[in-house]
Amino acid sequence: MRTRRLAPLALLAVGSLALAACGSGGGDGGDGGGGGEALDSLSIMAPYFSATPPEDDDPVGAKLSELAGLDLDMQWVPNAEYGDRTNVVLAGDEIPDVMVIQQKSQGFVQTAEAGGFWDLTEYLASGDYPNLVTENPDVQQASSVNGKVYGVYRARDVVRTSITIRKDWLKNLGLEEPTNTDELMALAKAFTEDDPDGNGKDDTYGMIIPAWGASIGTGSPYDAIETWFGAGNVWKDEGGQLIPSFTTPEWKQALDYEKQLIENGYVNKDYATMDGSTQWNEPFLNGKGGIIIDVQSRASQLAGLFKEKDPKTYDQFVALQGNIAGPNGDFALPTPGYSGFLAVPKASVQTEEQLKQVLTALNELSSTEGQVLENNGIEGDNFTVEDGFAVNDESKQDYTDLVSGSWAQIGTNVAGYEAYKPKPETEYDAELEQERVDLQAKDLEKAVFNPGAALVSETYMTNGVQLDQVIADARIQYISGQIDEAGLDAAIAQWKSSGGDAVTAEMNELYGQLG
Amino acid sequence: MTAVVDVEQAGTPAPAAPPAPRRPHRGWARVVRYRWLLVMMLPGILYFLLFRIWPMWGAQIAFKNYVPFLGIQGSEWVGWHHFQEFFSNPDFPRLLGNTLILAALSLFVAFPLTIVLALLLNEVRLSVLKRTVQTLVYIPHFLSWTVVVSLTALLFAIGTGPLSSFLDGLTGTETNYLADPDWFRPLILLQTIWKSTGWGTIIFLAALASVDQEQYEAAVIDGAGRWQRTWHITLPAIRPTIIVMLILQTGEILNTGFEQIYLMSNALNRTVADVFDTYVYFTGIQQGAYSYSTAVGLSKAIVGLVLIFGTNWLAKRFNQQGIF
Repeated sequence: MRTRRLAPLALLAVGSLALAACGSGGGDGGDGGGGGEALDSLSIMAPYFSATPPEDDDPVGAKLSELAGLDLDMQWVPNAEYGDRTNVVLAGDEIPDVMVIQQKSQGFVQTAEAGGFWDLTEYLASGDYPNLVTENPDVQQASSVNGKVYGVYRARDVVRTSITIRKDWLKNLGLEEPTNTDELMALAKAFTEDDPDGNGKDDTYGMIIPAWGASIGTGSPYDAIETWFGAGNVWKDEGGQLIPSFTTPEWKQALDYEKQLIENGYVNKDYATMDGSTQWNEPFLNGKGGIIIDVQSRASQLAGLFKEKDPKTYDQFVALQGNIAGPNGDFALPTPGYSGFLAVPKASVQTEEQLKQVLTALNELSSTEGQVLENNGIEGDNFTVEDGFAVNDESKQDYTDLVSGSWAQIGTNVAGYEAYKPKPETEYDAELEQERVDLQAKDLEKAVFNPGAALVSETYMTNGVQLDQVIADARIQYISGQIDEAGLDAAIAQWKSSGGDAVTAEMNELYGQLG
Repeated sequence: MTAVVDVEQAGTPAPAAPPAPRRPHRGWARVVRYRWLLVMMLPGILYFLLFRIWPMWGAQIAFKNYVPFLGIQGSEWVGWHHFQEFFSNPDFPRLLGNTLILAALSLFVAFPLTIVLALLLNEVRLSVLKRTVQTLVYIPHFLSWTVVVSLTALLFAIGTGPLSSFLDGLTGTETNYLADPDWFRPLILLQTIWKSTGWGTIIFLAALASVDQEQYEAAVIDGAGRWQRTWHITLPAIRPTIIVMLILQTGEILNTGFEQIYLMSNALNRTVADVFDTYVYFTGIQQGAYSYSTAVGLSKAIVGLVLIFGTNWLAKRFNQQGIF
């Protein structure tokens, strides 16, 4: 009998969100701190990219603990699921002392605004922690939530967007690296139709584009092309007013360009489903596609893969080009200059004394010695220093990869990158690296920054993701020919009516306040 | 379910004992009498209390602006705000439609196929063949959705997959089956059929085994053919099983699709692929919109409840016993 009556109730429970189950914790959880006494260990939650996370008795970890003056208690999370885990951890009881926050998600921003994270603005500006004082205030501002700095950002190169091209195909066809979007289109056409690999078969295409998440302004090839066309970078300042980039005529012009690439077959056919994390390099390596719009390190990564195949000829396959001019001017798509930040939750670090302890530890971790440990490893063990460069011990390459794929993730380098760069093994490596540096300097001058980077609007916080998805999906549907221009306009209208207008108004209000 | 049925059946012979003088203690006497059955029910009751009823306390965050740092008690009460937002969102009709269409496909196409397969297997007289086939059709059940979706991706990869090449050859056009919104539902349905039909036959085969053989013999003497025997004897005999399975299936339907659908969706087919569960994952886990996604989850539960009661009501209308 009882079971019967419970049936409908149980069903309701089955259906309701599993989240609810984890959500019962109060704000008083947290480990480490407990009361107000000094911390004796520092728990840090961070993502890792390496095949496995470091062991508990990792030598770099031991040295970093020594340096920080606190035992590091690392909680490693695979990068692919880091965003999910962040939101689950925020809703749970076991909150670490320091969390790498990768994006200003609703979960994070709401918690921060409710006082769940320490506002570090004053502490960082005080100068008490010299290694945490930014060398680039604009980037720190961009990492803030409406001007409040909740974390020490993890510095990244500002210019990374680039075009990687099959060098041998260029040579075979007697073509030059493209300098504007028309030439890029022509190159994609030639790579598709003119048999660039000279095997007499119609088995190549121009550009390799993987599936991208349902978001806009995340450094996708589409975003890059749109910026080159002059659509701005997520937001565009027009006469002191912010407008979303996708409401500009330049954006539509760029979409038509992208549509043309796809329609003419200059792009891989599975552009909507290809897994970018595992399959992006493959067509380039196997001689199927010849152009990749992505970050600069894609070029060195590909060169490395060619090297594995044949170290003698590997220097003939990869050419690097930076941001190119569009029909409306010459623009470059920069990164935000940071990749997330290290924030300090109040649930675990409860007093100012404890916070100062944490900041002192982070300051040490960002020192030159700390950076070398995080990025290079242990000098004399897995690498040695020659002419100011790191030379990795080949027999310990696995360990070097482990270090750079994990410990580097807790490095901030806000006051400048001090660790050793790897020593180029060959002239070609050095050349590629030099080209990268040159392009960075050149593209920085024409970089179009997102004027709304630091601003978080109330409405965007509640349904920004769904709003972004409307546009991102409409974009790819339009490019693929699934919807026409009327459909695209309808999607933009839907964006506006379901909250977009409010977002724009709020962003402009904040924009006015922060100047 | 079986526990309940047992208690009921065990209850029927009770009138044989003199009932009158025990009236005041009847409830307690029953408890004492069936104490071991009740003890056996305890784990089940505990399970529901702990994992089903208790978490519902947390479902109240659907009515609040839940910020974990402030705790459930400390978060601001906003009433129906998140529900209003969801129901007025253009996503809502789309999610509801997609969810119901997929549920309907599974109920009206995949489910009857299970019965058909069970009937076919039941007709096989060669037991070696029957057992081999049974084992073979059970196997897909043990593969995870990740594997099934990877297989599909390989088979239907544009230009290179064997099945997509074959279909392209038939139609003369090149279609990206994995990204085409028109192909999303057929693929989902195919996968569901492939993976779960075999396993679903188990209960029906058990029911079929208990059909009175004398009826068949009598029918044969009366000159009934195979179809007639199936239609007039087999199907009516397993009808109660079908109804119960149907109702149970309806309850499960809104919960099972997540992995499969999430893995199969992409930018081009999302208009038909988004269902309640993927949306909850997207807004709740990925974006940390805790309250809003809980409200969506609760709305889904209500749809599930309506479906269950609907099926049960239909079952009763057709003069069958419902499950409650």
